[in-house]
Amino acid sequence: MIEKLKFFLGATANNLWQFRTRNLFSVTIICLSFLTVGIFLMLTNNLRATARTLATNMNIAFYLDPKLPPETVEAIRQEISRPAFVESVTLVSPDEARERFRMSFPELADIAAGLKGNPFPPAFELRVAARASASKEVVAFVEGMKKRPGVTDVLFNQDWVEKMQGFSRLAGAIGAFLGGILILTSFFIISNVVKLNVFARKNEIEILRFVGGTNLFIRIPFWLEGIALGLLGSLLALALLFVVIQVFPLYLGASLGALQELLRFRYPSLPQALLLLGGGAATGWIGSATSVSKFLKV
Amino acid sequence: MIELHHIWKQYQKPYWALSDVTLQINDGDFYFITGPSGSGKTTLLKTIFREILPTEGQILVNGVNILKIRDSRIYTLRRTMGIVFQDFRLMFHKTVFDNVAVPLQVVGVGRKEIRRRVFGTLQKVNLHQKMWEMPGRLSYGEQQRVAIARAVVNNPEIILADEPTGNLDPELAFEIVTLFKEFNKQGATVIIGSHDRELIRHFGDNILFLQKGKIVGKEAHA
Repeated sequence: MIEKLKFFLGATANNLWQFRTRNLFSVTIICLSFLTVGIFLMLTNNLRATARTLATNMNIAFYLDPKLPPETVEAIRQEISRPAFVESVTLVSPDEARERFRMSFPELADIAAGLKGNPFPPAFELRVAARASASKEVVAFVEGMKKRPGVTDVLFNQDWVEKMQGFSRLAGAIGAFLGGILILTSFFIISNVVKLNVFARKNEIEILRFVGGTNLFIRIPFWLEGIALGLLGSLLALALLFVVIQVFPLYLGASLGALQELLRFRYPSLPQALLLLGGGAATGWIGSATSVSKFLKV
Repeated sequence: MIELHHIWKQYQKPYWALSDVTLQINDGDFYFITGPSGSGKTTLLKTIFREILPTEGQILVNGVNILKIRDSRIYTLRRTMGIVFQDFRLMFHKTVFDNVAVPLQVVGVGRKEIRRRVFGTLQKVNLHQKMWEMPGRLSYGEQQRVAIARAVVNNPEIILADEPTGNLDPELAFEIVTLFKEFNKQGATVIIGSHDRELIRHFGDNILFLQKGKIVGKEAHA
């Protein structure tokens, strides 16, 4: 068994080297296909992570009428503290709001100082538990509070979370579509490369049949060849993906500004990397197996 | 033992490549099948190693009806045979050693044993010094000896050779058939398809004459 395995591996290595030009071509195509899939996977990862961060840091601000008596303000506090998803409630006074504005926008500090009164209304800042963020329950609560007398406005970043989740789904779909087409292309290319290799080794295959080689014995080196091509292609794609992750921020970092954090690519996780490699190997194997069974009548 | 019972083969109507061929070849026989071009020598040999199926008839090899063997099990028949072709059918991108080792690799023989047996066989055909050469660098006669070494390395019960001396000069042809004779002495049944009268006259123990697919004569000198 070990002898046969050694023979198969040796035969596969020989075949890969013997037809290296066309094999290199097919590895390149597989690599580009899986690189496309990988880039979209990375983008999806990133958008998902951004959406998650936004959801985790979700705050809702309820702006109040400045003329409200303290007991009404307290009643509102109690009302908004009641739901289970509320983690904390903080009252931001008009003075605190003005101070925050001054700190956040120092270039506009003169304008704020020049105002006669304080235009900033008091507000309740509410922190929502991450598990409940952007849930229907929270949305319904916010909608209800918007209509409550004494609450003049509500600031809620749910839209952003939903947009990020939408982008993430879109990127995933584009990746799956483009990647699918390219993987299908790789599949046909491997199939044709192996077919050419089968034809080129027709004499050898015939000899193997005459000396008593089984169907499996003849097919295994071709299968291994397809798997090796797929694996090499996807491995190369993974390596290029790591290069892209390293180089992309350096190349675009300065011009990205505030978007830098949003587009900071993350390395694919181990299961994702293994999935890419497995996908490459499977594409190679299916491509060669169909070609061999179609064109190798043994 | 090889038994052919009423074998008919038609490639194209209305011509019969083999017409009612009935033949029995015993273990250890040395057989020449001869006849002019197109007489059916190659077809007859091909039916024995089941490269082609006869249109009608029955072929038994060691009591097994080879026409009933499933395609996926043909290797069981082929492993009992060594086949030599007129055009050698060597793998020119592999060394002499690799070419001769193939029948042993197919059955999973260990590397050391393969080396020992390939070297021994190449010694028998006097090619052991060219074990690591590529076949393209060898002469025609040497290439044919590589093909013979490949056919006998597995100690087959039956050796089939289709015009093994077709491309060789008389001296080399004589040398090649002498080799077959030696393997025959060691117990292998040898069947050679040839139209070289000189060789047949010199080596022919049993001769089968074919013409237009029919057996037109048999001679036994043993």
